[in-house]
Amino acid sequence: MEIRQPLSNHKARGLALAGLGVFLGSWAILSYAEIIPNVILPSPTDVLKAFPMLHFEEALVRSAGWSIYRVTMGFVLSALAAIPLGLLMGTFPPVRHFFAPLFDPLRFLPISALVPLTIVWFGIEEMQKITFLFMGTFVYLLPLVVEAVESVDEVYLQTATTLGATKGQIVTQVLIPGSLPAIAEALRVMNGIGWTYVILAEVINARYGLGALITVAGKRSHVDQIFALVIVILVIGVVSDFLIRWINRRLFFWKA
Amino acid sequence: MARQLTPLGRILIVLCGLALIGYGLYRYGVFAKIADVLAPDKKAEGTVSKDDFGAVGPSTGASASTGGTGAAVKGGTRLDRPIKVAIVTWGGYAGGIVANGGFPPNKESLFYKDQGIEVELLVIDDFEKSRDAFRAGGDRGGVDIMWSTVDAFALEYGGLKKLNPKTILQYDWSRGGDAIAVDGSIKSVADLRGKKLACAEATPSHYFALYALTQGGLTNRDVQWVFTTSAVEAANVFKAGKVDAAVSWSPDVYIAARERPGAHILASTKEASNLIADIFVARGDFIEQHPEDLRRFVAGWLKGVDQANANPERTALLLSKSFSGIGLEDAKGMLQDVKLPNYAENRAFFSAQGMVANYHSIFKTAQGIWRRIGKVSEVFEPYQTVDTRFMEGAAEFFPAAGEVKPEFEFKAPPKSAAAPILTKTVSVYFPSGSSTLDENAKAVLETQVVELAATFGNAYMRIAGNTDSVGSRDANVRLSRARADAVTAFLVSKGFDRNKFEVVGNGPDKPVASNDTDEGRAKNRRTDFEVIPR
Repeated sequence: MEIRQPLSNHKARGLALAGLGVFLGSWAILSYAEIIPNVILPSPTDVLKAFPMLHFEEALVRSAGWSIYRVTMGFVLSALAAIPLGLLMGTFPPVRHFFAPLFDPLRFLPISALVPLTIVWFGIEEMQKITFLFMGTFVYLLPLVVEAVESVDEVYLQTATTLGATKGQIVTQVLIPGSLPAIAEALRVMNGIGWTYVILAEVINARYGLGALITVAGKRSHVDQIFALVIVILVIGVVSDFLIRWINRRLFFWKA
Repeated sequence: MARQLTPLGRILIVLCGLALIGYGLYRYGVFAKIADVLAPDKKAEGTVSKDDFGAVGPSTGASASTGGTGAAVKGGTRLDRPIKVAIVTWGGYAGGIVANGGFPPNKESLFYKDQGIEVELLVIDDFEKSRDAFRAGGDRGGVDIMWSTVDAFALEYGGLKKLNPKTILQYDWSRGGDAIAVDGSIKSVADLRGKKLACAEATPSHYFALYALTQGGLTNRDVQWVFTTSAVEAANVFKAGKVDAAVSWSPDVYIAARERPGAHILASTKEASNLIADIFVARGDFIEQHPEDLRRFVAGWLKGVDQANANPERTALLLSKSFSGIGLEDAKGMLQDVKLPNYAENRAFFSAQGMVANYHSIFKTAQGIWRRIGKVSEVFEPYQTVDTRFMEGAAEFFPAAGEVKPEFEFKAPPKSAAAPILTKTVSVYFPSGSSTLDENAKAVLETQVVELAATFGNAYMRIAGNTDSVGSRDANVRLSRARADAVTAFLVSKGFDRNKFEVVGNGPDKPVASNDTDEGRAKNRRTDFEVIPR
């Protein structure tokens, strides 16, 4: 192994599969041999058997659909709010200094504290769940956008100025295209963060939802169902991550 | 000459076609059918009605008793570490906290001096985390014994059965610990129809809600449920005015009812005194390996209960010192929300013939309810889930334990003006003109009323006889009164205090339907059982 030596695609895939294989293998050995009791670590068969039950009796697909809808809405709304504001803050330091004391401390907020507040402000329907996810991702997205704008190399700005670009041109022709790839990457991370909040978002009045299903499975001590639901969330997370990567590569080819 | 279509035109035509086909599919329900295959909805919930409670015969099968009383439990080895017990912030643990002199294991405790065991009480307020600790077990950094309630255990037993867990002890009855807070416009359970009711799904709160609704003449389908993941959350949405009612626990539910303008407590386990029983459940492997330690644990705990009951002031002080964030006044309040059953009461609770509301009847009823709303699929006999050997083996430490004394004294009859929490309407059939109960009528009372009267052990009950309008009013009033008397006499013969009941003969004065039809008259010939708070 050499430091930072690039791997061929073929090898990289092989290694990824091997890692997954070792993980699944040790899971199978630990659970089938009952090295870890089945009530703590259900076996792969137990987890597979939980799927039909979840599908036919607990509306797994509908729940997944609702959770995807909520996370996506929270994600889209926070992008719509954070990107323009972040661009302004990154471009004009006075704007940044005006808003910084408002938003910077919010990153330290324990997000679960927002649940009762969003209930009081936004009720118990979808509005509350989406607002919660919006707030949870917005506070992380905004600083990332600001940073993306600030990290556009000074050289590009100077070159543009030398070439006689106006203020408006610098923003639209230099800062925005220069920061968009990093912003897109930040959005990809936000999608992941949104999924980690899904249980908290569905604490109340969620007839369908993967987070709500996990909570009820816990009350009934069905560890196999919890594992199955976690797998569903992981798969959705990985697939959506892959999709966003793919879109990013297409859109921001100049940053390849 | 046909003109060539532009690409845009082609796309538009294709889109129009697709839209038409799509509309057709939607219109004729094809989409809905496809959705049902690809994404089936939740299994439809059954309807829970008043017939699902109380209609439980004596439990079949013997309890797991070995018959020996007062002797050491055979088999296993003695434990060389403290017994680890998961508890929550709740007054019901007073017995054990007194016996242990606090939470950490120590050699100054009654547990050690009297029984030669050490006990460690671990506060794990999060329900799921306490289950994780129980699954791990005391040898792997978890616990050997966990708290539950009979209704919750009936729900989670299937998921835990690989651990072969058994109930070993009842440490309290919830007495005010769980309550229903309602908006000012709601005066009785019947007013909840169509209202938004919040509670944590699949918890004792949910069970309490189903019980109150069904006994008050509604079903689980008559309210709009708003499910939360925790009881605290349910109290919060109520306080915020987002729902009309909430079932939650002390102190949150009382704070919410106090702080929301116009709100009040409709009912609590203060009245429904024999509904929510808190129990200890031990892991199967622990029972097998260390039965003697468990016998001593049960004996030590119940001795602690005797001391705690004899000395509430000192107990409250110890509670406030032990639980973090609980002052002396809070601790006194916590003790008032529970009843700590002693040795004799525990024995009666675990015997299928002991009390009307006992472990077996509550477990079986709760399991039936959860099954009806699709929360459990496998059913178990109550006796499979309990092990009374330790209780029986502890008899030598309680020589004076005799019969269970009636817990509630009913002195004055209830105030006639008092509004009932709920009214259960039962059709008790009497032969025309007669006030004698036949076997059929007795069976109806047995299943529909005895359990209700026992569950609301700490409330008065008004028994009101009603007739239709056929015949003279005076004769009807006399007859309805005589019939209500006969019903009361039957209930008293089941062991209830006569003063618990108020007897009323309404005659034809309070019809619930028109007396012009046969159907209406049949509805009017009824007995109302009104649960009245003290």
